[in-house]
Amino acid sequence: MRLAKTSGIAARLLSVFITLFGISVFIFIVLRVIPGDTITGSLGIETGVLTPEQIDDLKRYYGIDKPLLLQYFSWITSFLGGDLGFAYSTGVSVLTLTASSLPVTIELALFGTISGVIMGIAIGMFSAKKPGSARDFFGQLFGLLALAIPGFVLSTAIVTIMANKFGYFPNGYEYMTPWEDLWMNLQQMLFPSIVLGIAVAAPVMRTTRSALLETVDKDFIRTAFGKGLKNRTVQFRHVLRNSLIPIVTMTGIQFGYLLGGAVIVEKIFALPGMGRQILDAINKREYATVQSSVMIFAILFVTINLVTDIIYRRIDPRIK
Amino acid sequence: MISKKRFLVGGVALALIAGTLVSTPAKAASSELVIGSVLDIDKLDPHTSTNFATVRALGLVYSSLVEVGPGNKLKTGLASSWSFNAAGTQLRLVLREGVKFHDGSTFDAADAKASLERILDTKTGAAGRANLLTITSIVASGRTLTLNLSVPNVPILAALDGVNMAMLSSDDITAGKVGGSNKPNGTGPYKYVSWEPTQSVKFVSNPGYWMGAPKITNLTIRVIPNESSILSAMNAGTIQFGIVTDPLIAKQISTKSLKLFKVPALAYYALQLNTKVAPFNDKNVRLAIQCSIDRPEMIKTAMLGEGAVSGPITSPAYKSDPNARPCPKVDIAKAKEYLAAAGKSSGVTFKALVTSNGWATSVAMAQNLKAQLARAGITMDLDIVDQATYVPRWLGADFVATLANNGGRIDPDTMYTRYFTSTGNLNKVATYSSATLDANFLKGKSSGKTAIRTAAYTAISKELEDNAVWVWLATPYEYRVATKELKGFVALATGSLLPLRSASLG
Amino acid sequence: MTTKKQEKTWIHYYFKSTSGVVGAVLVLLMMIISICAAFGWTTHDPLAQNPMDALQGPSSTYWFGTDQFGRDVFSRAMDGMRRSMTVSIVAVGIAGFIGVSLGVLGGFLGKWLDGFVVRLSDVIFAFPAILLALAIVNSLGNSWIDTSLAIAIVYTPIFIRVARGPVLTIKELDYVKSVRVLGFSSPRILMSHVLPNVLAPILVQIALSMSWAILTESGLSFLGLGTQPPDASLGLMVSEAQPMAAFAWWTLVAPSAFITLVVVGLNLVGDGLRDSLDPARRQS
Repeated sequence: MRLAKTSGIAARLLSVFITLFGISVFIFIVLRVIPGDTITGSLGIETGVLTPEQIDDLKRYYGIDKPLLLQYFSWITSFLGGDLGFAYSTGVSVLTLTASSLPVTIELALFGTISGVIMGIAIGMFSAKKPGSARDFFGQLFGLLALAIPGFVLSTAIVTIMANKFGYFPNGYEYMTPWEDLWMNLQQMLFPSIVLGIAVAAPVMRTTRSALLETVDKDFIRTAFGKGLKNRTVQFRHVLRNSLIPIVTMTGIQFGYLLGGAVIVEKIFALPGMGRQILDAINKREYATVQSSVMIFAILFVTINLVTDIIYRRIDPRIK
Repeated sequence: MISKKRFLVGGVALALIAGTLVSTPAKAASSELVIGSVLDIDKLDPHTSTNFATVRALGLVYSSLVEVGPGNKLKTGLASSWSFNAAGTQLRLVLREGVKFHDGSTFDAADAKASLERILDTKTGAAGRANLLTITSIVASGRTLTLNLSVPNVPILAALDGVNMAMLSSDDITAGKVGGSNKPNGTGPYKYVSWEPTQSVKFVSNPGYWMGAPKITNLTIRVIPNESSILSAMNAGTIQFGIVTDPLIAKQISTKSLKLFKVPALAYYALQLNTKVAPFNDKNVRLAIQCSIDRPEMIKTAMLGEGAVSGPITSPAYKSDPNARPCPKVDIAKAKEYLAAAGKSSGVTFKALVTSNGWATSVAMAQNLKAQLARAGITMDLDIVDQATYVPRWLGADFVATLANNGGRIDPDTMYTRYFTSTGNLNKVATYSSATLDANFLKGKSSGKTAIRTAAYTAISKELEDNAVWVWLATPYEYRVATKELKGFVALATGSLLPLRSASLG
Repeated sequence: MTTKKQEKTWIHYYFKSTSGVVGAVLVLLMMIISICAAFGWTTHDPLAQNPMDALQGPSSTYWFGTDQFGRDVFSRAMDGMRRSMTVSIVAVGIAGFIGVSLGVLGGFLGKWLDGFVVRLSDVIFAFPAILLALAIVNSLGNSWIDTSLAIAIVYTPIFIRVARGPVLTIKELDYVKSVRVLGFSSPRILMSHVLPNVLAPILVQIALSMSWAILTESGLSFLGLGTQPPDASLGLMVSEAQPMAAFAWWTLVAPSAFITLVVVGLNLVGDGLRDSLDPARRQS
């Protein structure tokens, strides 16, 4: 039994490494396929005033003069050694840049997931109280309507209305990390988290609602009622706990999506996160920044997947 | 019945909003200005900066020998006077007295010489190098700088303006302490304090500045990557100055609560045609395009009316007359005549390279032009790519036609020799040159007399328009938005933030 | 395991679900609009620019007003519906076909194929969608087909996951094991025993993914990577209208309304399918 378990873990880790290797190759190739390079990305049309010798010099400076295979190995070996490369257009290493942007994105994704779960559960419970009623229908409709509005429209609308009507725009101030100014940080995260959370809220709402409806009929619930327990207590203690498991496992997947889907929200709410970092680096064709950042993302994502998978397998023993 | 949960949520929301009123950072001291910009700077070396945001920011820290002031006139900068010799082959500049670098050292001609030589050094990769190629030798003596030129070159004076011509300390240059992560050391009104990549750049006023210490003591350029959010930040009072380029956003600025500065830009939009490939190797087809385009309509629809029709030269002293072209107004009948003359009565189809994010109105302009050309039986297919893909294709002249936003200068020489002289380093992109153009550019370059220069540049403009080498369209506006409390600020066509040195808040 | 009788009953249950019916009506309405647009039956030509009539509010001539080029917003929204619908159907079609095939085959046949499928799914999952879209748009071109392809690749992993899960469970069921031992051919087992049980979650996922595809396309348009102008997709219209919303609200409202209706509709259809296909959830 023990042997099977350890070989299982080893197999999983091997699988993770292969996946990450695949991603590193994939990202490297994709970047080289796109037209443009770091020189044109940084100088724009002014590249035209450079002499061929100057361009060669710049190529050497950016490390793009070597053959592709060598570039790949040079990058991946540095990466594994902790050197993520240099982000030329920022004057600092990719590691420094990521060290400040990754926490922002993680915090955003975390708050997004939490706010989504809260909103979803709240609406799910609201709807499940009287299944089939107008209240139920409108509760679900509200959840869906929020989902149907494109993220950038909702974000811009929130920003504009809050700023113009209430003079409130915390994201217009310098970004504050939680240790610098917790209160300001929470305010800066509030609306972006809600916008991101909506995508999470919809499936959570659905699952909550149906789980509540299912369990409410079960015998042990009837017994609890018989014992005189209040409706609310019953709901929370027994029903929600049972429904929470599928919600949590699904949340793991959603969290991963949020990490990647935060770009638009980061742009509109001026949050200095990884999404923006990758997008800006793509626009400037800063290869090391894009490659290393995507790898960090991938590592995070794969880890979350792994953890979610383990939880899933422990719950459902039917799956080997 | 309000559920407990809902009550809690509502209560938290109220508390947060109430809390903001309490916790809003203390109203900025009247000597602090926060500027909102979509772009972050990308380096600290003024000689190799081409990114607009970098040029704007470093322009506060570094100064050049001459400056462009309001009205687009050349003014004294670090040079307090200058003169050409009779032949126009020697430019002598007298440098301003009492100018100090931020580190305390004095600025003199040796620094100026070292700076210009650094620009000329190919290893630097300086963006302005091509404009200084006529310099054969530089002599520095005390506060006098002498430039010896291989040929008469009057426009070189105007070329000495700008961040790409920044004056650096010779000590810094020798020690290799320019650019990279080295702290910028200039002679400008503001000292560089810090750069937090993707977030902000901070400056503090230079008390020893030669024009007097700026009244606004602290400047921050804050990155807000979305113009709509910049406007919101201004409305909420979290920033006091904003850089806006999208006319759609500019249209929403309420002049009741904010100040809008609007000045015609030197940059211009043009539909560049590749005269070396079909169908544009035929002049008649090019003229047909020129005659099919209704520029006022394009400005009205794509730019919401925020622009002016223009000819090739936007330099104010030598501005092209937009009516001096075969078809100053749209003339579909004439366009069809040109098409017939080219043997293309059944119509012409071509692909235009367009950038999706090079500037705010690029795609809108392309769409309207497409619809306009269709009225003359010309089909323009849009090949829309992102900017980083657009650039190498533009540089390689890998297009049949392309919609471009090119920079303007106050002198036509620095503006166009790179494109339309046979030896210009961007001639490949312009795809056109001629002996007459070369001759006229030389004439304009060598003479100091306005009359002769005007004649030369008028002739150049005429040749470009009569041959419809490109289709020049319009010039946009430069927008700056500020809090009503900002006083003494003038907007410049170059987009420079230098006027902040004489501005004050409240 | 009779299929015919089951089919009849699930449609029966589908029409008993309010969500299902409302959703079906909405989706049908949007389909009709798309088909009308495909045949050119719109109030005006979606591409025709009439600068004289630019930025006018809704009127009897222009039901939802005009945009900055004087194009009729309503006709454009109809055409946009057609394009968004097309992108959605094609993208989800490709993702569904490839994803389900890989998921079912991998799950059923196991061993290295399954390992490969799971790894491929993880690689795509972990890849930023924007980068993928950028790469495809730049190397292949930026017609709507390329946008659909980009979205298809991004959505394939979820179909792999949705298909593979049930297959893994079914594979272990006693009667399936015994049928394999008895020597029934794999394709036959797949077709008659595995697929019918996988069909339910897949159908639901198709409806949901189609709604997401329309939103993803709009996000890509915001970044300049979706449908290219002057063609209209709902996402492109919304992204173009957004900076003008303050002074030309109608340019934003029409496409947003269409997006809302179709996204809500598809989600309700998904709900209806879920309610009717899962025996445990059926309401009597």
